[in-house]
Amino acid sequence: MASEGEWPAADPRRVPLDEIDADDLRFRITTRSEIDPLAASIGRLGLLQPLLLRASGRRCTIVSGFRRVAACRQLGWREIPARVLSHAVGDARCARLAIGENALVRPLNLLETARALALLVATAPDGRLPAEDAAALALPSHAGLAARLMGLERLPAAVREGLLEGVIALAMAEALGRLAPDVACAFARLFRELGLSLNRQREIVSLVTEIAARERRAALAILSEPELEEILRAPEADRGHKARLVRRRLHRRRFPAIRRAEENFESLRRRLDLREHLQLTPSRDFEGTHVTLTLTFETLEELSELRGRLDALLLNPALRRILEGKAEGFAPEPPPPAAHRPSP
Amino acid sequence: MTITELCIDAGVADHPQTAEIRSRLAVPARVVPGPAAVFAEIWAAEDPAGRGKQILYLTRNRGPFLKACPGTRHYTCCGYRILHIGSYCTMDCAYCILQAYFHPPLLQYYVNHEEMLSELENCLAAPVIQRIGTGEFTDSLIWEPWSGLSRRLVRRFAAQRRAVLELKTKTVNVGGLLDLDHRRKTILAWSLNTERVIREQERGTASLGARLRAAAESAAAGYPLAFHFDPVVIYEGCETEYRRVVERLFAAVPPEQVVWISLGAFRFMPDLKALIQRRFPDSCIVYGEFITGLDGKARYFKPLRMQVLRCLAQAIREFAPHCCVYLCMEDDEVWRHALGVTPAERGGLPRMLDEAATRHCGLAAGESGR
Repeated sequence: MASEGEWPAADPRRVPLDEIDADDLRFRITTRSEIDPLAASIGRLGLLQPLLLRASGRRCTIVSGFRRVAACRQLGWREIPARVLSHAVGDARCARLAIGENALVRPLNLLETARALALLVATAPDGRLPAEDAAALALPSHAGLAARLMGLERLPAAVREGLLEGVIALAMAEALGRLAPDVACAFARLFRELGLSLNRQREIVSLVTEIAARERRAALAILSEPELEEILRAPEADRGHKARLVRRRLHRRRFPAIRRAEENFESLRRRLDLREHLQLTPSRDFEGTHVTLTLTFETLEELSELRGRLDALLLNPALRRILEGKAEGFAPEPPPPAAHRPSP
Repeated sequence: MTITELCIDAGVADHPQTAEIRSRLAVPARVVPGPAAVFAEIWAAEDPAGRGKQILYLTRNRGPFLKACPGTRHYTCCGYRILHIGSYCTMDCAYCILQAYFHPPLLQYYVNHEEMLSELENCLAAPVIQRIGTGEFTDSLIWEPWSGLSRRLVRRFAAQRRAVLELKTKTVNVGGLLDLDHRRKTILAWSLNTERVIREQERGTASLGARLRAAAESAAAGYPLAFHFDPVVIYEGCETEYRRVVERLFAAVPPEQVVWISLGAFRFMPDLKALIQRRFPDSCIVYGEFITGLDGKARYFKPLRMQVLRCLAQAIREFAPHCCVYLCMEDDEVWRHALGVTPAERGGLPRMLDEAATRHCGLAAGESGR
């Protein structure tokens, strides 16, 4: 890092905007792209902080101030105040200045941090993270964490946008980064649309990838199935409702027999007409051999009333089906042969 | 996978068994002071479960050789005893629990046979029927090409009438056993599965046809046989394919020579899932409809297990109506549906198996000699 006496820039001077190469983005840290509010501020108060440029032949490279250049161009300015570094100032030094101008005045988001770290590594003579410089610039200096963060730079745009919006957590962004880019983008779009928690996102990734693996199809094909598209397109449904429908749909695809059995069981339970004070609960995932019947009462009269209902329950064919129909997933019994059916 | 290296614990470097194995196994050998360096090498490998199949570590078993089958209390266990001759396997089945069971997963063979046989003597002295197998922590017969242990065990069991030895395998390594006077005290057993499961999930194992040919040769040599449909894997069309395996089985071997057939639906410890996904990326075996069983293992949804096991049991009954068919680690509800009976109605599963062994192998609880 430069010491106090080594500040390399000259005093600010006015630089014609058309001499600034705004297409050279190598030192850009910010992920913000909106210009209007900044232009409005500059238009009202003027440019409070001069740019930092580096001379490069007849033109200048931006070290810090990308958005300010865009805002001043939008305002129709022809010149802009800037400190201009000599062309002899190396990339490594410029990188540190660019990072410092951002990281030391505001918190960087994850992608900006990733960019800053990548810039430090790219300009380091040995291609490795200079840990002390990173720490001095308020960046993570742990090599493992830095490597993880730098991986974010390679994420597809939709995932990066989700990350910036706070819709996609770092752990999920990394998981999506391990998928094919088109699949990662499809998941990212889904998550941004549904606003799911991290656990729900994980659940959906797992469901889709496992359905795809089992059926030997592409995950993208599962995500593009018409039934899912239809749920997402429904204009009247809110995000929470859509999320429930999407999850239900995927669960049904991933665990068809289990979901069918659950629905059949629920249908039978409804036919028991249990109402209040009686509750019938199956074992978890129907794995145990028992069902549990709970009676809730406060008085002998209530218990007596329940006894009557229990007697009726014992005669209910739905209860027999619950107890004996597990092997068939509680599917309704087939109707008796036509010859034995009672006349209407 | 092929063994590429022999590591010998310094404590057994001069053991006669070690010398015998070294003379038969033509791979580079080195003596190590203890297991630590070998374990470290396995853990450092990119694929420890794969690397552990390439190094054979010869050592001494410092624990008991005879152990109880590691069943759990929630499901019915067969209650047989494990003779712990070694651990892990040279074959590479996607579903193999041993990949996750051993820490690290390393092919180990215990050369202190004298201690093992001494412990076995004590066990065989008990005046009760016992079923003892070597195929729980390893495949019983992968060791055959360079170990004479199975021949020794077959001879020892032939000299008594209280216990039966079950050698369970997916290999065809029975050639060295066929000429022995086994006196029906050794059951040769094969794990069976559909052609598709063998092709997709069982790397390096013998084909179904080869296993059945080996079983037929063993039957011709008078050995009692057993078969284990475990793991039964559920997939589209599996019932037809399992039925086809049953047809082929009984076309190859006489039903009256089969002591028992077990059926066990695929189940796995949760940790195994990520391992299978990593080591067998093309395997779909972990994407079935699993729930968490009462023992914490992932198991197929019970109605699915009930259906496929019943179908398989019915197919077996058609060909071998008197054969003892049992379920591995299932509860009464599944038993009743698949087999029409619960173990308790037959006096318990261990008793069912003891009786089958007694019938087929000529056991007698009170007798020790021939």
